[in-house]
Amino acid sequence: MKYLFLGLMSFLAILAQMIGGKNFFLFNFLDLSLILVAYWAVYRNRMQSLFVGSLAGLLLDAAMGWPLGYNGFGKTLAAFLIGQSWKKFNTSDQTWVRFSIIAASSWLSSLGILGLFWLMERSTSGMFLGASLLQAFITAAVAVIVFAGLDSYRRTQMHKVH
Amino acid sequence: MSSELNAKPNKERALLVTIPLLILHLALLSLQIENPSGTLVFKSWVLAAQAPVLALSTSVTNGIRQLWTGYVWLVGARRENRELQQTVQRLSMLNRSYEQVRQENARLRRLLALNESIAYDTIGARVIARTPGFLANVIYIDRGSRDGVQPDAPVLCGDGIVGRTVLVFRNQSQVQLITNPDASVGVMLERTRTPGVLRGSGQPLLDLVYVSNTEDVVEGDVVLSSGLDGVFPKGFVLGKVIESRKGNTVFREIKVQPGIDFFRIEEVSVILPQSESGIQNME
Repeated sequence: MKYLFLGLMSFLAILAQMIGGKNFFLFNFLDLSLILVAYWAVYRNRMQSLFVGSLAGLLLDAAMGWPLGYNGFGKTLAAFLIGQSWKKFNTSDQTWVRFSIIAASSWLSSLGILGLFWLMERSTSGMFLGASLLQAFITAAVAVIVFAGLDSYRRTQMHKVH
Repeated sequence: MSSELNAKPNKERALLVTIPLLILHLALLSLQIENPSGTLVFKSWVLAAQAPVLALSTSVTNGIRQLWTGYVWLVGARRENRELQQTVQRLSMLNRSYEQVRQENARLRRLLALNESIAYDTIGARVIARTPGFLANVIYIDRGSRDGVQPDAPVLCGDGIVGRTVLVFRNQSQVQLITNPDASVGVMLERTRTPGVLRGSGQPLLDLVYVSNTEDVVEGDVVLSSGLDGVFPKGFVLGKVIESRKGNTVFREIKVQPGIDFFRIEEVSVILPQSESGIQNME
């Protein structure tokens, strides 16, 4: 049941991205599924975030019309990096640390895909790197804002309880 | 197994899950090299699940747009301005909506002209979604098998060739754009009639390949479909050469700028299958 829920969340994130991307150009530089992976790694369960990454990646590949595996590989790598870095560094209220971890994970995910492109002899270019860097910054900025909002909400709820 | 996993440090446990998952993805990719259609079932499920939501979202978005331009904006203007300013704003708003209608009309006219200029049965379609991410290599249209669309049908717009249908559902189809790394089109140069193959690269520019170093190719040369690939009809514009230089092999390295802004396509025409004989006759 839990994994069905994970699948549904990944599916909805990709749908939201497709709809948003059609209506707002800049939305195409936001990686919603990576934000979902980061959310799962940070607030839920690091191990499950690996499955979220894999599944979201496979769904993304299907939606993009790519062979399955490229985004699954990239997002799994990103989930691992986020999970391990978040634990290692003190990220509480450290906006720049959070930003750097998510941006680096997003870019690593893109680099992973680029590496696979190269291995599979599919054509790529430097432009992909530039665009994925921009995507990493935008995704990290949005994720940091969302997580700050979530933390603030949680703190308010805890104050109410006490 | 789970107790063994729990006994290990967190990082090691994470690696024990990450590495098999990564290998799984690599294996999946390797399998698809030999059998590209092996994953079509999974893709079809995903897209079939997405299709109704995408269609609904298009209707909702259009409804909100109409509500915004036709009512909410007007209420906001009333609050902010006096009567005269209000009238001016309403008129300018109307003017904008007329401008949108005019632009849509112009686009549809071009499509209609296109439909009339080609000897095939075509059907108009609206773009309902595009792929997530900055590399827009696939779009979705609101026509499917119910409308007679079949896989591998050429998709065109007023500015030239858009791509071909890959997966067709009852009411929607997935269209692979010519910029997709898996897409290629048989082409020729308008000026010299030099043949070649135009290949997508997953980025805005296309690669024109298999053109010999001895051929005369210059910037600005118009690239047309040759009709030799058996999918796309002959004589449609695909773009212009923006870079051409001698390559290290026997072939030139040529970059082509597509004639279409793929992020802004709203309406397209799909060639219906019964006209395939028409394509051959034309050639």
